[in-house]
Amino acid sequence: MALAKPAAELRIAGSKLPVIPLPTNCPGCGVALDVESLRKHNYVCDCGHHFRLGADAWIALIADRGSWKERWGDVRSHDLLNWKVPKPYQEVVEQLLEDGLNEAVRTGTCTLAGRPIWLAAFDFRFVGGTLSIVAGERLARGMEQAASSGIPYVLISASGGARMQEGVLALMQLAKVNAAVGRLHSAGVPYFSVLTDPTFGGTAASLALLGDINIAEPGAAIGFTGPRVIKQATYADLPPGFQSAEFQLAHGQVDLVLPRTELRHLLAHLLEMYP
Amino acid sequence: MTRHGRKPDESTLSVWQVVELARHPERPYSLDYIRRLAPDFIELHGDRLSADDPALVGGVGTWHGRTTMFLGHQKGRTLKERVARNWGMMHPEGYRKAIRLAHHAAKFHFPIVSMIDTPGAYPGAGAEERGIAAAIAAAIMEWFRIPVPIVAAVIGEGGSGGALGMGVADRVIMLENSIYSVASPEAAASIVWRDNTRKVEAAEQLQLTSRDLLAMGVVEEVVPEPKGSARIDYDVAAAALDESLHRHMQALLTQPTEDLLQHRYERFRYIDSLIHAEPQFGPKI
Repeated sequence: MALAKPAAELRIAGSKLPVIPLPTNCPGCGVALDVESLRKHNYVCDCGHHFRLGADAWIALIADRGSWKERWGDVRSHDLLNWKVPKPYQEVVEQLLEDGLNEAVRTGTCTLAGRPIWLAAFDFRFVGGTLSIVAGERLARGMEQAASSGIPYVLISASGGARMQEGVLALMQLAKVNAAVGRLHSAGVPYFSVLTDPTFGGTAASLALLGDINIAEPGAAIGFTGPRVIKQATYADLPPGFQSAEFQLAHGQVDLVLPRTELRHLLAHLLEMYP
Repeated sequence: MTRHGRKPDESTLSVWQVVELARHPERPYSLDYIRRLAPDFIELHGDRLSADDPALVGGVGTWHGRTTMFLGHQKGRTLKERVARNWGMMHPEGYRKAIRLAHHAAKFHFPIVSMIDTPGAYPGAGAEERGIAAAIAAAIMEWFRIPVPIVAAVIGEGGSGGALGMGVADRVIMLENSIYSVASPEAAASIVWRDNTRKVEAAEQLQLTSRDLLAMGVVEEVVPEPKGSARIDYDVAAAALDESLHRHMQALLTQPTEDLLQHRYERFRYIDSLIHAEPQFGPKI
């Protein structure tokens, strides 16, 4: 199998964003980080700790170099609920846009090892990667086009759930995107879902766990209700590893737990097997 | 004016008072309505996989001369019953039971009436272990393929994904003093402020009353409640709910299945386009 060379540079052309900001020591093993070697290892520490990546980094990681065509990047959020406290929602969104982030989901087409795919990546830095109207719209449009053109759909999720500041309209995104996932399934189009740290709430309870194949990153926290809320509501002591990717594998929710360094290779192989 | 008729009297209640009415322990629950709509109701149990979830009642009854599948969140009235019903918070088994009964309804061409009254899906370790997120996700996706008419009514609390898992329908209506929200005010406060005592502010920001939802175009109709809210007179509240549910269902029963499913898809696909919304909301996209 001829794999195209993985993109070496974790930066998207035209992006103002800095390279992934890193803590100075690995939260997994405490060892001081060598940024250059981490970058070469797709931001996975030697100890196995997987650093969170933004959407731009994920796109660079998955897409063959130069193949990424972003779609609907100009669809914008609006403060429909006139949300004012503790911070005006409109200001929060405008600041993030100014920082170079473009909503909690970016989507587009690209090739992976030469095969065309639709790719969507959540960005946890944008209001916790929360599912918003814009995120839902980009996801649903991409899925509809993938369903009608027969091009496989790859999702990278990292999300706290639905966006509170868009109220019930954010909740409705679960139905909107799940309806579109249904179109993918009835069209017989492969849908590979990659769950990264963290994937919770409305995102887990909608598209992220509906893949034909669900792939989780080692150690990723995945679940519906966050551990803090579970403890508040039930006073339960949660065992170590509760809601980890490995926990979800043991409980039948994901097909594979796979290190990031092997992800691209697996996806390329799957695209061959699910033409 | 609303898209489908009546606008309830302008409320003088505060948002938090509406939340309290929606959660009032004397408010009629699903079974109070179902038994009035279909006195011959037969409850059916179990997801056929491992369990029966008492937080969701389901079964068949004769409603306006037609066998109908009723589903509804059920809260308990006494403390013992509240515990048994888990305060109307469903486990994964509940969503699997709902879809099992939806397929049952589809086999016999029974229309489906779904009543929503839950703070949310159960936020406990057991629910997580048994796949609550995937159960809700699968249910939401599956509702779009159920080839019979579905009308959903929010009768009390419509909380988060736990409510939406039962709320994908061809028409969605709300009782006047019910709420429907992306998260409970307590959860929203906990997420936005990291402080769940700011629930009143959160409730005001969330725009979760029936009037708000109607103004956004997320629900088709608000059903007026008797003076002093539904708890004052169950019969009058049930009669109003019956009239509205039946009117919406009648319009759906004549639709060819293909149209029905296409409209259901479009209802949610473009629900945020705010085409039907009042001017203070969009359309913005």
